[in-house]
Amino acid sequence: MKLPKSWLTEYVNFDISDAEFIERMMHRGFEPEGVERELEQARGVLTGRIMRMEAHPNAARLRVCQVDMGTHSVQIVTNATNVREGAIVPVAVVGAEIGETTFTAATLRGVESYGMFCGCDTLGVTLDACVGCKAGEDGSGVLILPEGTPVGIDIAQALDMTDTIFDFSVTPNRPDCNSIIGLAREAAAALGQPLTTPGIPHIASAAAGQYASVRVEESLLCPRYTARVLRNIKIEPSPLWMQQRLRRMGQRPINNIVDITNYNLLEWGHPLHAFDLSCVTDGQIIVRKARAGEVVTTLDGKERPLDTDTLVIADANRPVAIAGVMGGANSEITDQTETVLLESAVFYAAGIRRTSKRLRHSTDSSVRFAKGVEAVNCKLALKRATQLIVELGAGEAVGEVLDVCAAELAERVAIVDIDHVNNILGLSIAPERMIELLATISIHAQRDNNTLRVQIPHWRTDIETGIQADADIAEEIGRLAGLSLIAPALLAGDSLGSIPSAFRAEDLVKDALAACGALEMYNYNFSSPAALALFGFTDERTRTVRLQNPFGEEQSLMRSSLYPGMLESAARNLRRKTGHGRFFEVGNIHIDAPGLPVEHKKIGLCYFGEDESFYTLKGSIERLLETFRVQNIRYTAAKQTAFQPGRCAEIWAGATKIGEMGQLHPDVTNSANISQPLYMAELSFAALLAASGESVKFTPIPRFPVVQRDLAVVVDDAREAAELASIIENTETDLIISDIRLFDVYRGANLPAGKKSLAYSFTLRAEDRTLSDAEIQSAFAAVIAALAANNAPIRS
Amino acid sequence: MEQTLQEIRSKALAALADVLTETELEVLRQSVFGKSGSLGLLLRGMGKLTPEERAAMGKIINETKAELEAAMGALRDTLQTEARERRFAAEALDVTEPGKNPLPKGALHPMTQTYRTIRDTLIGMGFTMFDGPEIEWDDNNFTLLNLPKDHPARDMQDTFYINEDVVLRTHTSPLEIRALQNLTPPFRLIMPGRVFRVDELDASHSPVFMQMEGFVVDKGLSMAHLKGTLETFIHALFGNDVQVRLRPSYFPFTEPSAEVDMSCTICGGTGAGCRVCKGTGWIEILGCGMTNPHELKNCGLDPNEWSAFAFGVGVDRVTSLKYGITDIRHQYENDARFLRQF
Repeated sequence: MKLPKSWLTEYVNFDISDAEFIERMMHRGFEPEGVERELEQARGVLTGRIMRMEAHPNAARLRVCQVDMGTHSVQIVTNATNVREGAIVPVAVVGAEIGETTFTAATLRGVESYGMFCGCDTLGVTLDACVGCKAGEDGSGVLILPEGTPVGIDIAQALDMTDTIFDFSVTPNRPDCNSIIGLAREAAAALGQPLTTPGIPHIASAAAGQYASVRVEESLLCPRYTARVLRNIKIEPSPLWMQQRLRRMGQRPINNIVDITNYNLLEWGHPLHAFDLSCVTDGQIIVRKARAGEVVTTLDGKERPLDTDTLVIADANRPVAIAGVMGGANSEITDQTETVLLESAVFYAAGIRRTSKRLRHSTDSSVRFAKGVEAVNCKLALKRATQLIVELGAGEAVGEVLDVCAAELAERVAIVDIDHVNNILGLSIAPERMIELLATISIHAQRDNNTLRVQIPHWRTDIETGIQADADIAEEIGRLAGLSLIAPALLAGDSLGSIPSAFRAEDLVKDALAACGALEMYNYNFSSPAALALFGFTDERTRTVRLQNPFGEEQSLMRSSLYPGMLESAARNLRRKTGHGRFFEVGNIHIDAPGLPVEHKKIGLCYFGEDESFYTLKGSIERLLETFRVQNIRYTAAKQTAFQPGRCAEIWAGATKIGEMGQLHPDVTNSANISQPLYMAELSFAALLAASGESVKFTPIPRFPVVQRDLAVVVDDAREAAELASIIENTETDLIISDIRLFDVYRGANLPAGKKSLAYSFTLRAEDRTLSDAEIQSAFAAVIAALAANNAPIRS
Repeated sequence: MEQTLQEIRSKALAALADVLTETELEVLRQSVFGKSGSLGLLLRGMGKLTPEERAAMGKIINETKAELEAAMGALRDTLQTEARERRFAAEALDVTEPGKNPLPKGALHPMTQTYRTIRDTLIGMGFTMFDGPEIEWDDNNFTLLNLPKDHPARDMQDTFYINEDVVLRTHTSPLEIRALQNLTPPFRLIMPGRVFRVDELDASHSPVFMQMEGFVVDKGLSMAHLKGTLETFIHALFGNDVQVRLRPSYFPFTEPSAEVDMSCTICGGTGAGCRVCKGTGWIEILGCGMTNPHELKNCGLDPNEWSAFAFGVGVDRVTSLKYGITDIRHQYENDARFLRQF
């Protein structure tokens, strides 16, 4: 909300620096959004009157002007086409500064020029903002000031642009401060000065009689409706002071009646609407819901069909306005308007919000109603607008104030526990001091033993009388006294801090994968249907969750897999040649379900680059499973659309599926413009936790030496390495066979086609003795025999 | 005979001066002390001497022998030392050559690191952890937090909807509701998680970001405890010199509410020409407040008996401030050149 200093100082004495004021407001809950000093960038630009204008001797498009600057005259060469003799214009004389530019004397085609005429562009203002001024076509050219403007004065003064305009952010709990009066009330307290608001007299009827009537059919949606009739309306421009104020608030003056309603909205924060009473049949205002099939053309010329939830203002026959949102064209104020019905009403905020949403149209009024307006202020605003119309001679008030009110107008009182207020704040402020502080913002309170009896001003709709009252008043006391008074204290009492195991496990996953050389990614949770479809899931991952209001189709689904996000990030890294090919992510995916979607935490791995392969990816997964002491791990060959046939595995721990891994299908990588192999895995965090081993128990270190033996077998290409390792491990012998390791796989020369050689090393030992040569040979022979029996002869 | 001995001695000593290697030394030693060495031959001639002569001669020979052995031993030590020195010189390494690592450098995302720092500080203050789903009931995300449908403050957080009743949580505050409904107070909780808002991605906004909610429920809590808790973890993140201030604000689920600013870590709080704090010397870092009595009541706690406070930190934002990251998009692009730095 903007707060021009010139307007503020009409109500409050301002005696500190602007910076200090802004700082104080901030510490009272009004965050500064900016401060604008009008025409700040132009210094030394003065008004001057063009006395004589002659052709330039050497240039057809230039003119040589003699300009009266009040105390002296200067010669200025100009190429402007919209100036004439007698015009009063802004002159950037020698030494003037605009922004970074300092003006100096110049010779233009042989003629001396001692400055420059300024237009809106140069001054950095809009023509609309220059009240009473003209310019050339489409606002360009030199600014022509109104006749009668004194010459030789500063342009800022001439344009009445010497103001400082503060801008404060107003939180949603303080709709009262979306008005000059409301903000001035807070400003007065911040300045430590009394607030003087304009007195609002009752304007008696200029001629008795019944001019209009009001009937409210929906008192829940319209708790109060007040109106006043004004006649002998003279539509004309509003006075300059009002135009200037509107301009400073960023509004364009239109005519006196419209300007007064706008002005009133700014000053009191309550939206008003003016109807041309001659267009309201029988002067009868009815506040009702729209009827099926009703249509109204609003002031912006749009025809708007209404549904039966929309509150309208109607006359006996038809709607004349959409309540709180916009007036109808059928009752619009025109230059011919003679009699006006001025409306000031309270409409139910949520109702206006919904109507505005449904119509996809919001106005200054609808925004204000949606934030919440208040019933006492409603009538004050009507009386203030009536006063302005009468005082400015724009019309005369007749009849009485029409007022249909179902709203509670009685003052609310909160009983507040003094100790509780201090306990909430962690302060000990004396009750008298509390009363004093509250009084600075017109909240009056009396002490009653351990409580304060707080009279809540009508505009403070945010302060409650119920269970929130103590907290509400504590908030006021806190911000008025200053939160800096609160001394930090540590929490008292015993409380054992701890990280629950699931969170620890997530740390462990991340640490293990980072130790494998992987970088941790955070991908977005959104995914596109196309990206997910690419992976051709056939399991629960097809049951995606769709957003109602996504940014676009590309981000319309919640990811049901980490793959699409990882693929996108991998493509980005390859495109940018970042030189790294190991990544992981721990994140949630969502599966559609009745009620809330099902959420699974997943561990994703994404490896690529010339050093990576299916087996380097598997190596990191093995390391991760080792970290979690997972037992009975099996990797089983699997078929999945997303992966290249023959290069995909499921990962099992006993009967629990932990996840899957593989090399992405070329169709998938190609679609991401990746031409090299990409290896990915997705593991279930919950399954990993479920499969993780028991706590560690020490196993005695073997006391007797082990013997290592190597062998190689020749088998069909399709045989799995794990099968042969298992044959070795399960060989019947008295010795312990362990640490079976595949150290070489060979295909090619010296081997029959369709065969491969697998070379294993393993160890032999006994618990209770050093092995004899005979024992070793016998066990080794048993292994060879077992392999041979399973069609895996030793490679000769 | 004595003369012969003198000749052997002087010849051996002279030869010693020419010896360059241990092998040569060994050859020389054999030529003197070996079975057919010069000294051996001499000793064999001792038989011809009288016992008296033999005793006298034996003494001289032994002295000469000891002298030569000592000289040869000294030379051997020197030669060995020289040989080692030569070997060391040959084996000297260029210590500036790079080390060998079988694996590239992995790293945790900076957001994870920031999250852990905040978490660990709070764990040290007796907090524990709690979490809940990213997709939430509208009731938990809004209504029970004192934000009924049509509440004007709902506009403060633009929301992604799944349907009328289900939203992507816009903050971690619905975890307060879940905690109040499921745990028995008193408790101190840290509740981290991703949150979602309809904010177009730009340098300082992201539609997905990570928040961390602190939530303490106990009897007799005040804003002083809130301020103390916040100061402790902000100091843990940014150092003890950082100033912390509370500024009145508004959130529907806290009353009183405050924004928390810390003195700018870039300009040191002077504000002079600083783009990060826009010249104010302060940076907004989180929002907090005393939990609204309505929220406690909505979850079945008597607000006259129990008190609570809460704060919500944007982990991405704190990460940006901590590491001087100027564009939040870096944190979601997963560029290895970014991730490797942490």
